[in-house]
Amino acid sequence: MERLQRIILNIIFCIQVLLIFLLFFEDQIQLPAWLQVAGRMHPLVLHIPIGMMIFLVALLLMEKWLDQAVAPVIISFGLILTSLSASVTALFGFFLSLQGDYGADALTRHKVSGVLLSFLCYFVVLLYQQKKRQAIFFGAGLVCFVTLVVAGHTGAVLTHGENFVLAPMTRGEKPVLTVETASVYHFAVEPILEKKCFSCHNESKAKGGLIMTTVEKFKAGGKEGTAFTEGHPEASRMIKAFYLPLSDDKHMPPDGKPQLSSLEITTLKAWIKAGADFDKKLAEYKASDSLTFITTAFASSTTPDQENQVLYTFPGLSDDKVAKLNTPFRSVFPLYQNSPALQADFFVKKAFEVKAVEELKAAANQLVVVNLSRMPVTDKEIPLLATFKNLEQLNLNFTAITGSTLGELKALKNLKLLSLSGTAIKAKDLDPVLDAPALHTVYLWNTPVTDAEIEAFQKEHPKITFIKDSFHDNTILRLSKPSLENEGVVKRSDKVKLKHTMPGVTIRYTRDGTNPDSVNSTEFKEPFLATETFVIKARACKATWHCSDVYESTVFVEGIHPVKMKFFNEPDPQYPGEGVTSLMDHRKGVSDVLKEPSWVAYRDKPFAAGFWFDKEFPKSMVFSYARNLGAYSFPPTDVEVWAGKDEKDAKLIQRIKIEQPKGYDANKVAALTIPLSPHSYAFYKIVAHPVAKLPAWHDGKGDKGWVFFDEVFFY
Amino acid sequence: MENEFIKQRFHVTRRHFLGKMSLGLGSVALGSLLIPDLFKSGADEGAMLAGLPHFAPKAKRIIYLFQNGAPSQLESFDYKPLLNKMAGQDLPASIRMGQRLTGMTSGQASFPLVGSHFSFKQYGQSGAWVSEIFPNMAKIVDDVCFIKTMHTEAINHDPALTFMQSGAQQGNRPSMGAWLSYGLGSENKNLPAFCVLLSRGRGNGQGVYSKLWTNGFLDSIHQGVQFSSSEERVLYLKDPQGRDRNGTRKMLDNLAELNAMNYQEFGDPETQTRIQQYEMAYRMQTAVPELSDLTQEPDHIIKMYGADCLVPGTYASNCLLARKLSESGVRFVQLYHQGWDQHGNMVGEMPLQAEDVDRSTAALVMDLKQRGLLDETLVIWGGEFGRTNYCQGKLSKENYGRDHHPRAYTIWMAGGGVKPGLVYGETDEFGYNIVRDPVHVNDFHATVLHLMGLNHEQLTYKHLGRRYRLTDVAGKVVSGILA
Repeated sequence: MERLQRIILNIIFCIQVLLIFLLFFEDQIQLPAWLQVAGRMHPLVLHIPIGMMIFLVALLLMEKWLDQAVAPVIISFGLILTSLSASVTALFGFFLSLQGDYGADALTRHKVSGVLLSFLCYFVVLLYQQKKRQAIFFGAGLVCFVTLVVAGHTGAVLTHGENFVLAPMTRGEKPVLTVETASVYHFAVEPILEKKCFSCHNESKAKGGLIMTTVEKFKAGGKEGTAFTEGHPEASRMIKAFYLPLSDDKHMPPDGKPQLSSLEITTLKAWIKAGADFDKKLAEYKASDSLTFITTAFASSTTPDQENQVLYTFPGLSDDKVAKLNTPFRSVFPLYQNSPALQADFFVKKAFEVKAVEELKAAANQLVVVNLSRMPVTDKEIPLLATFKNLEQLNLNFTAITGSTLGELKALKNLKLLSLSGTAIKAKDLDPVLDAPALHTVYLWNTPVTDAEIEAFQKEHPKITFIKDSFHDNTILRLSKPSLENEGVVKRSDKVKLKHTMPGVTIRYTRDGTNPDSVNSTEFKEPFLATETFVIKARACKATWHCSDVYESTVFVEGIHPVKMKFFNEPDPQYPGEGVTSLMDHRKGVSDVLKEPSWVAYRDKPFAAGFWFDKEFPKSMVFSYARNLGAYSFPPTDVEVWAGKDEKDAKLIQRIKIEQPKGYDANKVAALTIPLSPHSYAFYKIVAHPVAKLPAWHDGKGDKGWVFFDEVFFY
Repeated sequence: MENEFIKQRFHVTRRHFLGKMSLGLGSVALGSLLIPDLFKSGADEGAMLAGLPHFAPKAKRIIYLFQNGAPSQLESFDYKPLLNKMAGQDLPASIRMGQRLTGMTSGQASFPLVGSHFSFKQYGQSGAWVSEIFPNMAKIVDDVCFIKTMHTEAINHDPALTFMQSGAQQGNRPSMGAWLSYGLGSENKNLPAFCVLLSRGRGNGQGVYSKLWTNGFLDSIHQGVQFSSSEERVLYLKDPQGRDRNGTRKMLDNLAELNAMNYQEFGDPETQTRIQQYEMAYRMQTAVPELSDLTQEPDHIIKMYGADCLVPGTYASNCLLARKLSESGVRFVQLYHQGWDQHGNMVGEMPLQAEDVDRSTAALVMDLKQRGLLDETLVIWGGEFGRTNYCQGKLSKENYGRDHHPRAYTIWMAGGGVKPGLVYGETDEFGYNIVRDPVHVNDFHATVLHLMGLNHEQLTYKHLGRRYRLTDVAGKVVSGILA
């Protein structure tokens, strides 16, 4: 027994230490789940010390009449157990407090009184153990009991709220005020006074003789005179008190109490300025009055989170059952945390089964929103949906329903929103549903229901909003441009294909560089073969649309392959490409990205390369070059063509001047065609000179320009 | 390892503490308080919240049409005739009030005011002012809530964009879409909760980077999934040639087993994420083709969005795809449209940019409306900051430019619990400072979360020893715009 007592006393001591620690470091703590459970036991275990203590008080009062040998043992042991349970309760209380949102002040009071109780109990046990059983023991015991009452009360305030016990006797109905019906004083001014002033200036407290809780006494003022002067905020005693320094005795509210915000002061000032009237409503004030502004702003700001929250009173479904209803293609979930109301959404048309709707029967009473949009739901499923008695929103957009069974839905007393866009429903089938008592919006866009029918419905059901077509626009729009399907270099065996993303368009094109028109130019019907590089221009047309702008692109077509190639001048080391093979690898570059291996470039030296042929001999060649004038990449100024049997034999056969740009233009990869010789030469040497001096209009005038080539073609 | 960890946490006091106590209970309890993982097995319980809003949401999904590069509020929605009257005069110092400048105008000797080149008119019952280059958006003003008083802390694109998307200027925090995915989960298990679509306009552009749709420190399942601009909207989703769907299923099952073994051994939560993502991709194989097939849209829808909506990678096609994704339960569809950075050539570029977005944006709002989806879908349109009321570079009769301006800019929202037909807040006559109802980026985030049914102060994640929020330590719900 002795040993057990000592162990328990040790435990109690440990808990006291822990409590002190918690009191100071609770911010640092994150609670593991199992201690959260312990915390939630607090409301259970707290009854033990209360019961024990009442029992002990009774025992101590009756001690005289008890067996003198047994009583001290029972009391001693009872005290220890009280202390232990009080400590454990306090500890669990801490754990609980870390989990929830409790009012900070009330919580602090409860926490401190609880911990104090735990200490006091331990102290009383120690006193009793040391046989100091006189006044000091009883005194400490009494304090302990009072603390218990305080701790108990503050705890009850936390769970049940202020004035829980007496509320049934004191409760008065407090009407909800609206800005339309209440006076500006009651709507916007009184709540401020109630929050910041009433606690000291009421019938029972009346500091400075001022009572603000009733209109007459507020008007009468306090010992020093009236609180306000109608029309003159600057002369009003209470306004002056707000502006005194905080340290001044006359500053209101006193230091330490919650102070008025500047908006609240402005409101009070505006109210006094406007005559400090207690009865006038908002509509009776001038629209230009500052009080009108403030009150209107106040009215629009008093809609807190929870107020608009719909409350559902029907019983919810267990989490397990809700979880069972969830599949990859059907989501069922509560509208918000802890709400019994459920929403069901269906996804992926291909995976839809009628069974999936039938299974919702399990939640027939809880479903408030059902979204079957785009699912192949038919008329057969409607009667089932009509049994979900709490259904408020039903989305049947783009389903396969025709409407024959739609009338069944009128049984739904709470149905508010019905979406039928994109279905085949007809007006006569819709008619009966409109009698559903709560219905307020029906979506009928893209249905056979005509505007005239809707108008008729609207007359009969003025409360319902019908949404049919919200986008009225008859302007004729321009089509987007067609484009080439072929990417990069077109092989000689490949066909050139134009495409457009819109079905039903006509594409017309030219291959000679002229702009295609929408009537006479060749219509693109099927892909065609090409033998040489050309510029294609195309536009798309379709009835009820404007023809597209002209699409333009150079189609680079594969040509004769030389048997051997060689650079006579190496490219600039910054842009070496992948050597001479870069020119024939069919990898096209992009005009904005020049530093990549498709491109070879020259600046200080001209491009010079040799090409050897044996069976097929070219008659012309095409340079594919980057036209990016901002980046100094120009077409070459002149191109020399050398021809002969071989390298040594080659002679300059022509020198061609290339037309130079006159100003900045759009970046592109362009083709430059160079005629060669009509004779069949086995060797060609081509030299292309970069711009020596950039023209005057260019930002880099006078500098050297570049030439960039990604491919050459021979035809 | 674990012992060392505990020792380090306790320092000397542990020995002392245990020595003092004949029983270990207190220390065990305390130990587990200080080291929450001590008795924990499996993944961190904070890593995933139950997919529930805190209260009934007004909006279930968001489509954020981000106008990247900062479209000028002065050429779009914030009409300031005074600037036309005072054109060429210097911005008064009393208005500028020491506002810092970017490196691009800090060398400028004067700051000549310049008014909009484009004319404005009032539209709708709300009487909102809209510039002539947005004729279609002008038609939807009664469904839209303009916020004229957005303001931010950053003055350059990258930090401002990152701030707008993640609530911090440095790119290490989860982006908005990731927070929503974490807070609310996915509605449709066959698609990611957070999708990203990119397009490029014809104006001066600024880059977008994947850090803008990062999951940050959240589980990587919450990362935004970027759709491709090519015809195949999600790359590598098709089964490779020669393998059918059953083969894929078998491969995934075996792979999942291997991954599960790996998880057993190392306990890295990213392994679990990987398993989940493979499963998601498998389900996306059926869901995505159905979605990205835009050719099934009826002709009048194509007319609404404009012909470009059939050309993959355009803003218009992204709007149409966004509508389809949102309709299929994707929580957060994020579009970025580049090209709004008009430091010069405002007159040349602004109409092109406007032309690219005007029609399809209005169409998206209207399309949602006629399907009954606008009430539960929040559409947001806007950039990362505003543009200055003075000219950057040379001011001529024909052209001008505007620099970055963080103190006031306009965005708009529509649907999803926002008051329609409202113009919220007001800037001064110079369009430079806010005179009424400022909305900070943090406030904007708090409001968006509120509309989605989330309390921005409670949506937290513990990382590196502290709890993080999208709004960090600030933000107030802008109750004035709530319907």
